[in-house]
Amino acid sequence: MPRRKLPHVPKRIVELVEDLRRKEDRLALALSLVIGALVGLVVVAFIIITGRLAALLYPPGGLGWRRLAIPIVGSLIAGFLLYRYFPLARGSGIPQTRAAVFIHDGRISLRSAIGKFIVTAFTLASGIALGREGPATYIGAGLASSIGRRLRLSKNQVKWLLPVGAAAALSAAFNTPIAAVLFTLEEIMGDLHAPVLGSVVLASATAWMVLHLVLGDNPLFQVAGYHLVSPAELLIYALLGVVGGFVAVAFVKLLLWLRERFLRFPAKTLWLQPVAGGITVGVLGLFIPQVLGVGYDQVERVLNGDMILKTVMLLAAAKIIATAMSYASGNAGGIFGPSLFIGAMVGAAVGGVAHLAFPASTAGPGAYALVGMGAAFAGIVRAPLTSVIMIFEVTRDYSIIVPLMIANLIAFYISYKLQHETVYESLALQDGLHLPAGAFRARAGLWVDAALRDPPQPLTPEMKVDEATMRIGDSDLESWPVVDEKGLVGMVRVNDVVDAATGSQRPVTIATIMKRGRALVRDGSAEFPHVHSDQPLGLALARMGDTGHNALPVVSRKNAREMVGIITLVDVLRAYGVDTTRMTPARGSPVVES
Amino acid sequence: MSDPSQQPVNPLPAASTSEFLLTFAIILLAIVLLFGFDTALVRIDRAATSATALQEYKRGQSFFAAGKLDEAIDHFRSAATLDRDHSVYTVSLAQAMLAQGRPAVAEQLLRPVLERDANDPQANFELARVLVAEGRPDEAKSYYRVAIVGKWQGPDAERNRTAARYELINLLAQSGDKEDLLSQLLPLQDEAQSDSARRRIAHLFITAGAPGRASEMYRAILRQNPRDAEAYVGLADATLATGNFNAARDQLDAALKVAPDDSVIKARIALTDSVIAMDPGQRGLAIDEQLRRSKALVQRTIAAARKCLDVESSEVSEALDSVTRGLVASAASVPRPQAIEENLSIAGTIWRMRGTRCASQNQPGEEALRLIQEKIAQ
Repeated sequence: MPRRKLPHVPKRIVELVEDLRRKEDRLALALSLVIGALVGLVVVAFIIITGRLAALLYPPGGLGWRRLAIPIVGSLIAGFLLYRYFPLARGSGIPQTRAAVFIHDGRISLRSAIGKFIVTAFTLASGIALGREGPATYIGAGLASSIGRRLRLSKNQVKWLLPVGAAAALSAAFNTPIAAVLFTLEEIMGDLHAPVLGSVVLASATAWMVLHLVLGDNPLFQVAGYHLVSPAELLIYALLGVVGGFVAVAFVKLLLWLRERFLRFPAKTLWLQPVAGGITVGVLGLFIPQVLGVGYDQVERVLNGDMILKTVMLLAAAKIIATAMSYASGNAGGIFGPSLFIGAMVGAAVGGVAHLAFPASTAGPGAYALVGMGAAFAGIVRAPLTSVIMIFEVTRDYSIIVPLMIANLIAFYISYKLQHETVYESLALQDGLHLPAGAFRARAGLWVDAALRDPPQPLTPEMKVDEATMRIGDSDLESWPVVDEKGLVGMVRVNDVVDAATGSQRPVTIATIMKRGRALVRDGSAEFPHVHSDQPLGLALARMGDTGHNALPVVSRKNAREMVGIITLVDVLRAYGVDTTRMTPARGSPVVES
Repeated sequence: MSDPSQQPVNPLPAASTSEFLLTFAIILLAIVLLFGFDTALVRIDRAATSATALQEYKRGQSFFAAGKLDEAIDHFRSAATLDRDHSVYTVSLAQAMLAQGRPAVAEQLLRPVLERDANDPQANFELARVLVAEGRPDEAKSYYRVAIVGKWQGPDAERNRTAARYELINLLAQSGDKEDLLSQLLPLQDEAQSDSARRRIAHLFITAGAPGRASEMYRAILRQNPRDAEAYVGLADATLATGNFNAARDQLDAALKVAPDDSVIKARIALTDSVIAMDPGQRGLAIDEQLRRSKALVQRTIAAARKCLDVESSEVSEALDSVTRGLVASAASVPRPQAIEENLSIAGTIWRMRGTRCASQNQPGEEALRLIQEKIAQ
């Protein structure tokens, strides 16, 4: 950017700006405020435009054919736009935001953010059964990233602006400022103590204020206050947690399974794939109109007990299918809103049965729908704290909080046991992205990049052990990286190579040694042991213990086969301040002191 | 803004001061423009949404009027979802739900409306109706009261307020809450314009234990329309309630002259005749006849009490027999005037006892007995 003169700007303003530029804390404060306001206003526009467009496409009293045709045509147009102009606007936006934070140095192009706005608004208005919160998060993060880059902040600073924009967007999209902060920290950053906490809170509050200034003070759902009718009801809420957990797992597995199938199709069919979601939604919508769109009006109905048991069961099943298909086929939209829809229906179904069986000692189905929303969200998104606070903020009803916590934790536990990765992690993994899992950051901890060293010249799978032994030479590394033409394939123990070189079955290749060694790897979560540079050193130590390798490759999150360095036990101990002078020089093992 | 553990010192932004200034100026301008855009967008959206909601509401109303509740609910729901600022849509939805026999859902819909505005007269009125339907009349009363004093909007404001008052009055009349009933009736006394409304209020004054006011209202009606047979009957009812049975009979005769074929009048005359025949306090009766009538009154009262108390417990019934036998026996051993007094006292005691236990089990044939007991109580 060329330097410009400031001919007519008062000196005082120039001094203020210069002060802002030089003092990071003031800059953070100013950016939190402007990003909060800007993102809040953009999200408000996004919500209203989507709603208005939907009202035009589906006028009251409109004919039934619209429910079939509009999702199909809509997904076709959206598919083309996504394929031709905005390829990064596909899907939810939350995994993409995380990828931008952890892989792309905070880079989200303004074009992608604008594309997300346009395509998602059109997709949701056409009735595709997805949510608006994930896309709004991406749009907010994209705006924050663009501002950061325009100010030519450091990569690290731009990276930390993304959660600020994301929180502001979620706060405005869902009218839940506290849950937006928690979700950003819990799900996007994976760290409730992230250093951006102050900025995230400020941006969320600013966006919320903007939302209220423009749209007024209305909770997302108008719900009557519920309370616990009898203590025994807690058992039914616990049962709801169990059901919610299983439904959440079923939904996530179905979505991932379908998406896996779609990812196998040739890339040239990408523009057509969203139509599969459009057809599914259209056919379901023809018979069950409530399945169309985000469906918050239906959620409000069920929260007020205004649906019969048969309908809520049907809607839960239909929404699971419609959302899974819509998302898996590559439409633009999130699963945040549909999770709440599915949860509300499941909750109302459990509550409806309970109320039929024990009318005197249970609340109506609406109370269970409320708790079900939280349970399903905790099970699907796996952000239990966000879930509890979000339900409280959405309904502004404190009295149901204890049953909500019980059901949430049970659903979360079941989901965790049956589906190890969260849905956003799994979606990123399907795209080949290794994003950090859960709350992986330790406060004031040490990170892998603090002990990173350049990798040695790697071995290849076809290499004979004699050649490999020569390459290893007298290095103190206990494990050695092996690469093929596509990149890293794993680590081989130096002792195994040396043993093979001196054994009777020569000539043996590195691939053969690796094949034998692989059976011994206990960590089934990865194809080969590795760490990322932004992971804690403690995790590297744990992984070394699990795998038996005293050296691990450090790989890129963007591509796990791209080795960026290596980390050894000695390096880790050194980083922790352990005296490594009393180590065996040959292989870096600590000396056991007597 | 940065993670100190990862990168202790962040370099200064590469952008110059002028670039900083320009960027912030662009952002602030964007905020201002977006605010204007959003505000305009919200206005357009609200106008369109309100129009659609109103359209849906009107459709719902026409379906509701035609008794097509499912369709009415769909349209009211659509209106309520589209425009939350107009609570009338939600209240109408609740009204349709109630009409469909789903008071619990109607209550769920109304509670948030009242959380937003506890004095919303329509929501209070509808919730009161819902609570009555749910068998919670005591809770309903307070909502009726708020509806009565609330600020109703539109041309039907007074009609709605009066409707709420009448429903509360009916509720109070059913529960026998006479003081409350009277307090609700008094403001209506002068407001009622039509003869039918005045007759209705006058009748309710009788129920509220103010037959004098009822008589005044009926007489006022009759002054304007001396051929109003219903007013004569009402006046007779009020006079019966004061215990002046003979005067009531005369008023019924006057009614019969106006409407000779009216079966209601004839039934009232029959009732009044039987009351006059049973009444121990009729003027001109011999002392023996008074004694006989007082004894008969005791027997009738016991029979009426047994009808109700037998239902509840045979032990209570036996106890009642034992007590009344003793009382009648003791009354027989005293002078006749004193015996008459004691018989009337016994009958009154048993009636009151019956009244507290069997208020909801008045038998149709006990009307005459009730009138005499009320006269004795006076």
